[in-house]
Amino acid sequence: MSTPPPTEEPALAPVTRPRFDTESPWVINASRLILVVVLFALWEIGGGWLFDTFYFSKPSLIAKAFANDIVDPAFYTDLATTGLELVLGYVIGGVSGIALGILLARWRFVGKICDPFLLALNSVPRIAVAPMLIVWFGIGIASKVFLAGTLVFFITFFNTLSGIRGVDKALCDVARVQGASEWQIFTKVMMPHASAWILTGLKMSLPFALVGVIIGEFLVSSQGLGYRLNFYSTQYNTAGAISMILIMMFLMMVLTAIADRIDARLLRWRPSDREAGGVVPKA
Amino acid sequence: MITAGQAGGAELALAGVGKRFQARDRVVTALEATTLTIENGEFVTLVGPSGCGKSTLLNIISGLTFASEGSVRLDGNTITGVNRRVGYITQQDNLFPWRTLRENVALPLELAGVPARERRGKADHWLARVGLSGFGDAFPYELSGGMRQRGNIIRTLIYEPSVILMDEPFGPLDAQTRIVLQDMLLSIWDSARSTIVFVTHDLTEAIALADRVLLMSARPGRIVRADRVNIPRPRNVFQIHEDPEFRRLYNEIWDELRVQVRNVDAAAH
Repeated sequence: MSTPPPTEEPALAPVTRPRFDTESPWVINASRLILVVVLFALWEIGGGWLFDTFYFSKPSLIAKAFANDIVDPAFYTDLATTGLELVLGYVIGGVSGIALGILLARWRFVGKICDPFLLALNSVPRIAVAPMLIVWFGIGIASKVFLAGTLVFFITFFNTLSGIRGVDKALCDVARVQGASEWQIFTKVMMPHASAWILTGLKMSLPFALVGVIIGEFLVSSQGLGYRLNFYSTQYNTAGAISMILIMMFLMMVLTAIADRIDARLLRWRPSDREAGGVVPKA
Repeated sequence: MITAGQAGGAELALAGVGKRFQARDRVVTALEATTLTIENGEFVTLVGPSGCGKSTLLNIISGLTFASEGSVRLDGNTITGVNRRVGYITQQDNLFPWRTLRENVALPLELAGVPARERRGKADHWLARVGLSGFGDAFPYELSGGMRQRGNIIRTLIYEPSVILMDEPFGPLDAQTRIVLQDMLLSIWDSARSTIVFVTHDLTEAIALADRVLLMSARPGRIVRADRVNIPRPRNVFQIHEDPEFRRLYNEIWDELRVQVRNVDAAAH
C-alpha cells in the first residue's frame, strides 16, 4: 500500500546496485547456507579434539544414525504413533477449547463463575500431573493425547474467550441498527472478530502439542519418537538422539509453515504488520 | 436505478423526550424534555457545543438508548427499540475489518436474507454512485478515511431507512473531502428524500445542508433556536458561503452559538 512519495527531482545519477547487496534474498540465502556449512564443518572437524563426540557426536555420525533410522520399519511405526497422538491431542484440545470458549463467552453468568477456576487449572504445571496420567489413562496413547490436549485446550480456550469478549461494542451496535438478531450478531460480528484470536491460539499451541506428546512418551511408552529418543539417550547413543531431535525440529517447522500459510490466507483482511494479541501459554 | 423499499421518509415526532442519568451522588440531565416534529423528508441539522446531548438525542431516536421521559413516534408509531426504519451513521466509520468494502456495504441486505446476486448488484450500484467502483474487493485498512466514510454512509443508504441519523459523519475528514461528501449527500438525498437528522459542530455545514437548523444549548441540552434555511435547492455547497441568506443566517446563529460555547467553557473552569 505504501508507495514512496515522489521525489522533487528525478534521479539523474543511475542507480547502481552495490556489489554486495545486503537486501537481496540471494545474498541472504547464500549467507545462511555458508553459516550452516561452516558450523557443521567446525562440528565435524572439531569432534574428537575440540570436544568429545561421546557427548556431542558429529554430523557424519548423526547422518549415519539418520540413515539407519529411515530404513528401519520400526521408525515409521514410531513416527505414525507420535503423529497420531499429536493429531488427536491437537484436534481434541483445540475443538474443546474453542467450544468451551464460545460457550462461556456467550453464557456470561456461568463464564464469570468459572473464570477463576479455569485460571487455577491453567496454573497447574501440566508436567506435574503427568505421572497421574499413567494412573488414569494407562500407558497407551490416551495419556499422551490427554497431555497434549490439555496444553492445546487452555491456549485455544483463553484465546477464544478473549476474542469474543473483546469485540467492539460499536460494531455490534452497527449490526443491531441494521436489523441483526442476537444470533446474527454472534455469527457475523463476534465470531469473525474472534477468529483472528482463535487462529493465533491454534498456531501458538502447535509446538505445545508436540511437547505434550514427547513428554508423555518419555514418561512411559513402548513406541513413538519420544520413546525412540529416550531409548537412544539411555544407551548413550548421542548420534541417534540428536538425529531424532532434528527430525522433531523438522516436523515442527513443516507444521508451523502450514499453519502460517493458513493464517495468512484467512487473515488477509489484516494489515500484515499488525499481530492479533494472544494469551501467553504456560507449559 | 434501484429504488425498491419505502420511497421517501417518515415523520418523526418527539414528545417531551428527556434523558437523565445517575452519576455517583447526583442526577445529571443530559437532555431536557424536548418536543419537536420533523417532517417527512425534511433535512434537519443539530448544532451545539460539545456535550450538549446531541448524540444522546440520536441514540434515543435510533432505539439504542431509552429516554428517561417522553416518547418518539415514527409516522405515529412509538419507537420501542432499534428498527430498520431508522438508520444511523456515526462519526467512526466502524466498517468490519474482516469484510471487503462490498461485503460491508451489503451487510444490511445479508442480514435481511437478500440473495447474494441481488446484494452484489445493489452494493456495486451504490459503490459506483459514490465513486468507489473498483474498490469493492478492498479491505477497510486499504482505504483512505474519506473512502471508508463513503462506505459507511452507503451501507446505511442501501437498505433505504425512512429516517437517517447522522452523527458528525464528516467530522474526521479534511476540508476538501468534507465538501465533496456534503455535495454527494445532498444529491443522494434529493433523489431519495428520506428524513435526515444530522448532527455537526460546523455551522457552515449545518446551514449548507439543512431545511432547518436547530441550535442546542450547553448541558443540560435543550433546543434554544430553530431557523428555517430559505436557500433554494439544489444548492451549490462549494459556493454557498457567497449566498447573502447564508451569511445572514450564519451571523445570527453564530451570535447565539458563541454564547452557548462560552457557557460550556465557563462550566469547565
